[in-house]
Amino acid sequence: MRLVGRTVVAGLAEGPVLASDRPLSLLGGVDNETGEVRDPESPLRGERLGGRVLVVPHGKGSTVGSYVLYALRKRNAAPRAILVSKADTILAVGAVLAEVPMVDRIPVDVLRTGDRVVVDAAAAIVDAPDLVERDVVTSFLEREGRILVVRRSEQVGSFRGKWSGVSGFLEGVDAEAHARREIEEETGLTDVRLLAAGPVVRSRGPDNTVYAIRPHRFASRAGGVRLDWENVEYRWVVPAELAGLDAVPKLRAAYEATLG
Amino acid sequence: MHLEADEERMAIEGTPAERLSMKILKTLGDVYGADRLIPIASAHVSGASPRTLGEAGIEFLEGFATSAKVRVRTTVNPTGMDPDRWRELGVPEVEIRAQERIVAAFAKMGIEPTFSCTPYLVGNRPKFGDHLAWAESSAVVFANAVLGARSNREGGPSALAAAVIGRTPDYGLHRDEDRMATHVVDVDVPMRGYRWSLLGLHLGALIGDGVPYLRGVSAADSDLKWFGAALAASGNIGMFHVEGTTPEWRQANPRGLPKVSVTEADLLATKERHTSGVEPDAIGLGSPQLSADELRHLAELIERHRPRPRVYAFTSRAARAEAGDAAKRIEALGHVVLVDTCLEVAPMDLWAKTTATPSGKGAVYLPTLCGQKVVLDDLEELLRRFA
Repeated sequence: MRLVGRTVVAGLAEGPVLASDRPLSLLGGVDNETGEVRDPESPLRGERLGGRVLVVPHGKGSTVGSYVLYALRKRNAAPRAILVSKADTILAVGAVLAEVPMVDRIPVDVLRTGDRVVVDAAAAIVDAPDLVERDVVTSFLEREGRILVVRRSEQVGSFRGKWSGVSGFLEGVDAEAHARREIEEETGLTDVRLLAAGPVVRSRGPDNTVYAIRPHRFASRAGGVRLDWENVEYRWVVPAELAGLDAVPKLRAAYEATLG
Repeated sequence: MHLEADEERMAIEGTPAERLSMKILKTLGDVYGADRLIPIASAHVSGASPRTLGEAGIEFLEGFATSAKVRVRTTVNPTGMDPDRWRELGVPEVEIRAQERIVAAFAKMGIEPTFSCTPYLVGNRPKFGDHLAWAESSAVVFANAVLGARSNREGGPSALAAAVIGRTPDYGLHRDEDRMATHVVDVDVPMRGYRWSLLGLHLGALIGDGVPYLRGVSAADSDLKWFGAALAASGNIGMFHVEGTTPEWRQANPRGLPKVSVTEADLLATKERHTSGVEPDAIGLGSPQLSADELRHLAELIERHRPRPRVYAFTSRAARAEAGDAAKRIEALGHVVLVDTCLEVAPMDLWAKTTATPSGKGAVYLPTLCGQKVVLDDLEELLRRFA
């Protein structure tokens, strides 16, 4: 799998990921002699940053925390690279002071502790050679301000019983044509018009699988849905209701990606 | 971000400190989408006490100072102790030695030894429209909101980098669009004294990130100092407007924004949330440092109420010089007036386990930085209650 983000500090690095879904405070949160995480609110507590590729949403806490990365670098205990979803002043300045390659705009929840990654920060590329991507096409049908969601049956291979857009693994290369085929099979609707195709949204599946969701949004003239075996129930919901559904991962993010 | 020819030169051929500073500014400019650097009128650096810097920060400053010289007027935050009083107050010598290394590094860079979190009261008072690179969140919000100057909430290292180059990336609160109101706040309760701190704590936690626009109140600059400090301590906020009062309220464009109303119950809940102690063994004042007027007022109140717990009043060297008589009267009754340091960077844990304070910012940081339980209340009420 290859992720492309944005360069914060250029440089090359390779190593095992140390990942957390919580922001990390450096000042007081990381021991500046050993690089051990002390932040009681961090799931990384007890882990050491040295030799790892640190993956966190962003930094938090005092801006003096930047100096901690500098100290770790002097003691050979700094992380090899830093990957974040949103760069902030504390981590970005810390990476500059410590000369640690850093990339932002990375979907950090796709990476897990132990994944092996190769980072080319100047090109903003993160390769995870052991992770395998599976392309998924997800379509949102829109009618009179509502979106069609379907609940997956017990016969499908994954996410049984969860609410979803009209989805399937991509076959071939033409995602839009595939989306139209899936819509016809799963809903019986044929009179649909493409409104938008969003950028890829990634979601970590079991083991080394990463789902690369290609979201599409169509306008549907008709509302009479005829389900096939893949789904057991459907609803037309307003967008705000997406958040409250027991849904497949990243359903709302995939919908929002189609809004541009 | 585009660099001018002289900026490119500093980035490539400059001193080690200039090259590193340019790298910091270029990185932040790119991260936050600035298209250029702009000249600043002054810089204000945070991270000046051994406890906030740690050995890591001290090592960095010492190395940086071997080639760093500031290009613009630069002031610096409070240190961890009053250099004239540490011995009598039981501060360990090892902390003093660490403090001396920090002070020496800043002096070598040409930074003015103001050691104040209120640079705007000690001679570094920005003019309307000045661009600044200030760290110290309480001073940033005062400069933006009350003085109409323009600064992002810099960190210690980024303020230093801007001081060395004399410029800062043009994004965020330097730009008109990010200074517009994001929330309209209808204040339906009477405001005075420490209630401004409660309001700041409440709104900072509620809004988190944004620019509040207050209606239905009027305020003196001294009220807004306490309000802004609390607001910036509980939220990631660097700007606010008060209708009819602050200099940019007419440009704030509050139409059609989400509305917040403030009730007596909100302020009471905020006070309770920040109250963790019962019987204080110290009363801590400052954060931000007291002005000369506030010192004079404090002297009167202390003489009137004679509080039992020792009062630690933190102020700037300049304010104590200006209100020297008041400082003497406070100390004559067994209390202390400390300079060059402030409530949450001083070692309050050496002197107390529970600290009473009217400062909203103090109430946020005393538990985490100084291990204190806190009694948050109005100043006169505290002095009277614990008399």
